[in-house]
Amino acid sequence: MATFVDRYAEEASVIKANLVVSFVALGIGAFFGLVQALHRTNYFRFIDSVDYYTVLTGHGVLLALVFTIFFLLGLFTWAVVQSLERPMPDIRLTWAWFGLTTTGATFVAIAILAGFMPSIDMSADVLYTFYAPLQAHPLFYVGLAMFIVGTWLAGADWFLAYRNWRGDNPDERIPLQTFMVLTTMLMWYLSTLGVAVSTVFFLIPWSFGIVETVNPLLTRTLFWFFGHPVVYFWLMPAYLMWYTVLPKLAGGRLFSDPLARVVFVLFLLLSTPVGIHHQYLDPGIAEGFKFIAMTNTMFLLLPSLLTAFTVVASVEHGARQRGGEGYLKWLGALPWRDPAFTGMALAGAMFAAGGFSGMINAGMNINYLIHNTLWVPGHFHLTVGTAVALTMMAGSYWLVPQLTGKRLYSRPIGLLQVVLWFVGMVLMSNAMHRAGLVGIPRRTAEPQYQSFDFTAVIGTVGELRAQIAIGGTLLFLSVVLFLFNILLSAFEEPIANPVDDRLPAPLSGASGSPLVLDDLRLWTGIAVVLVILAYTLPLAGIVGDAGFFGNVPGVPVWVSANAEAIVETLTEVIA
Amino acid sequence: MSLEPETENTIREDVPDRPRGYVVGSAPDSIEREIGHDDFDPVGTLVLIFGYFLILVVMWVFMYFVEFLGRGMTVIG
Amino acid sequence: MEIHAYEKFWLGAALLLIVGFIATVSYGAIGAGVEMIDDDGGTVDPQNLDQHPKFSDPGVYKSGPNEYDVYVIAKQFLFQPGTSEPIRVPANSTVTFHVTSADVIHGFEVVGTNANTMAIPGQISTFTVEVDGPQEYGLLCNEYCGSAHHAMEGTMKVVPEDEFNASATAGGA
Repeated sequence: MATFVDRYAEEASVIKANLVVSFVALGIGAFFGLVQALHRTNYFRFIDSVDYYTVLTGHGVLLALVFTIFFLLGLFTWAVVQSLERPMPDIRLTWAWFGLTTTGATFVAIAILAGFMPSIDMSADVLYTFYAPLQAHPLFYVGLAMFIVGTWLAGADWFLAYRNWRGDNPDERIPLQTFMVLTTMLMWYLSTLGVAVSTVFFLIPWSFGIVETVNPLLTRTLFWFFGHPVVYFWLMPAYLMWYTVLPKLAGGRLFSDPLARVVFVLFLLLSTPVGIHHQYLDPGIAEGFKFIAMTNTMFLLLPSLLTAFTVVASVEHGARQRGGEGYLKWLGALPWRDPAFTGMALAGAMFAAGGFSGMINAGMNINYLIHNTLWVPGHFHLTVGTAVALTMMAGSYWLVPQLTGKRLYSRPIGLLQVVLWFVGMVLMSNAMHRAGLVGIPRRTAEPQYQSFDFTAVIGTVGELRAQIAIGGTLLFLSVVLFLFNILLSAFEEPIANPVDDRLPAPLSGASGSPLVLDDLRLWTGIAVVLVILAYTLPLAGIVGDAGFFGNVPGVPVWVSANAEAIVETLTEVIA
Repeated sequence: MSLEPETENTIREDVPDRPRGYVVGSAPDSIEREIGHDDFDPVGTLVLIFGYFLILVVMWVFMYFVEFLGRGMTVIG
Repeated sequence: MEIHAYEKFWLGAALLLIVGFIATVSYGAIGAGVEMIDDDGGTVDPQNLDQHPKFSDPGVYKSGPNEYDVYVIAKQFLFQPGTSEPIRVPANSTVTFHVTSADVIHGFEVVGTNANTMAIPGQISTFTVEVDGPQEYGLLCNEYCGSAHHAMEGTMKVVPEDEFNASATAGGA
């Protein structure tokens, strides 16, 4: 039996194109990460601290949006095609959304990278969150809007494929992988409304000078309307692989298909009405709304905690089938030589740790302790930076051979790569969490301030900096090994079975679960109602305060002369 | 062009044209016994996840009551 | 729908955990009295801060016996007061901060404490803390606010009561 590329050659081409964009972004973004890790710990500096924010914007956008979402676009296309067992309805549509997302991402990247060249009057040093009234070049917002519309078309493409399949299979349950793709996309449609409204109605006209002012709290709230669900958009591809691929890689079968469906439905329902938990310390939003956001957020722990059980049980099933015994000894019977398995397993273990720091972030008043400190990037480098990124890299070792028909260049290098990522992240993330408790802020170029010092209760601040620098370096090396391994795989000879791509049926199949789980209209309806309940009053209050277009003029980041003048005045003030 | 030692060769008889060395995703090849739905109790998972539960509870109490409420200048109004 | 007994047990434990977290936070809000930054501070025209009765002359104002209001403007890339002169408040007093921004979104963090808020143009973040004995604290902006964000810092000095001689009208302490 041949692999994916032999059955769906055209689809494999689009998926490969998505992965190429994804991995190029991974390479550049990881290099920026290395620059930051060494710069802000003062170990090695070759850029001005002013340019640090260009690097930081590039790191955030290229890794959090481009790397993750292009991987998702490729993976979801693969999942839909292989679980529905039919090609995409019209491959031209598939190429069209790839073209639109790639053009949008390229515009965004150009706007950001131009920040390095003072001769070009363009910059987007507004970081991944692009909070107004800091104002980027219009190309940044236009590219972002194109990228989002491209993802909408991708979702439409997958829904179309599903509709065609449904026409031929009126009575079957939705295949699990397609179910996961569709529920994730419904969540995405709902949540991207926030960022789409923010960019199209407010930020684009404002950056072109058509409207003069913004309401910063409104655009910020609309950002977080999208900004929390987007983390589940990154996470769902990882969950898709943990549920449907990892059990097989462990030599087992998925413990429960129905519970996997329940989990994805819960994410559709609860991902969006929680964004205000990023705004616990914002003025202009009443405490009651913050409490509601917290309650929703805490219940959103449920699908992840259930996932922990179901996925670990599926892996344990593999270990037992491979002869594992005992309460914990079975862990030794797992296929640790397989980089795809080991990478995903380590990613899952780190997600458990990231889950804990996320619980602290989610706690409404304890948020004062860590808000905007280095604790927060410490947290999300465990979640998106490891649970998602490491799962995607590890999954590539199994997925890419199916798309190319070529074996992986080196399994041992793959294994070294995933372990290196784990070790590097343990060092960096742990140090970042601790540094956050000391009060060291995130998003800053300098390790020191002039008028006070940070004091660590346990250990020293110097030791924390060393861990961040070493960890960041190991992580960069890991990405280099990954890209090197994937690149060299492209020069292998094509063979019929480059990888074992069979996926076994779940232990407990879909037939035992209630039909209502597949009623996507119902769940979408409830999700919309929950969003209306959580957001109507806070948004009304914010608009009531300063109107839709506010009273704050933009502060463009691309007028470089302006920034330099400000720095000069500041130096005088301090002197 | 490969770094795989030949000794790890696990080519299966029934599937021709497999690459040399350990094949990614080939864990099912070493299955010793098929365990069905009714014969499987994930007791190891229960042990692991209960340990995780305890860590979460202890860490939460420490973070909330020692790190957070134990710090100065807490916002009270 | 069949769920394994162990997983049902875990479902129960997970729900217990979630309820426990919400209960702890509720205890913090009601029992320990921790309040969130909210909409009590009201709004202000960020382009006309000089017409505001207090932000026109930001600083420390006595508001009652042993109670003080501190008005702080955050702007690229300084706190006023805080950066060029420290915020001075007397020891063992109740201090209410009113923080706003004159340009972009900033953060206001008293380093090593739970006093931490966003400063958003047009909005006033109001929060009250109890200040203990004399000590010097660092202040920093913890939200990226432009190319010299890393230089936005200041100090806050808690001084003994007898040293503190700010008059209610002095402003800018």
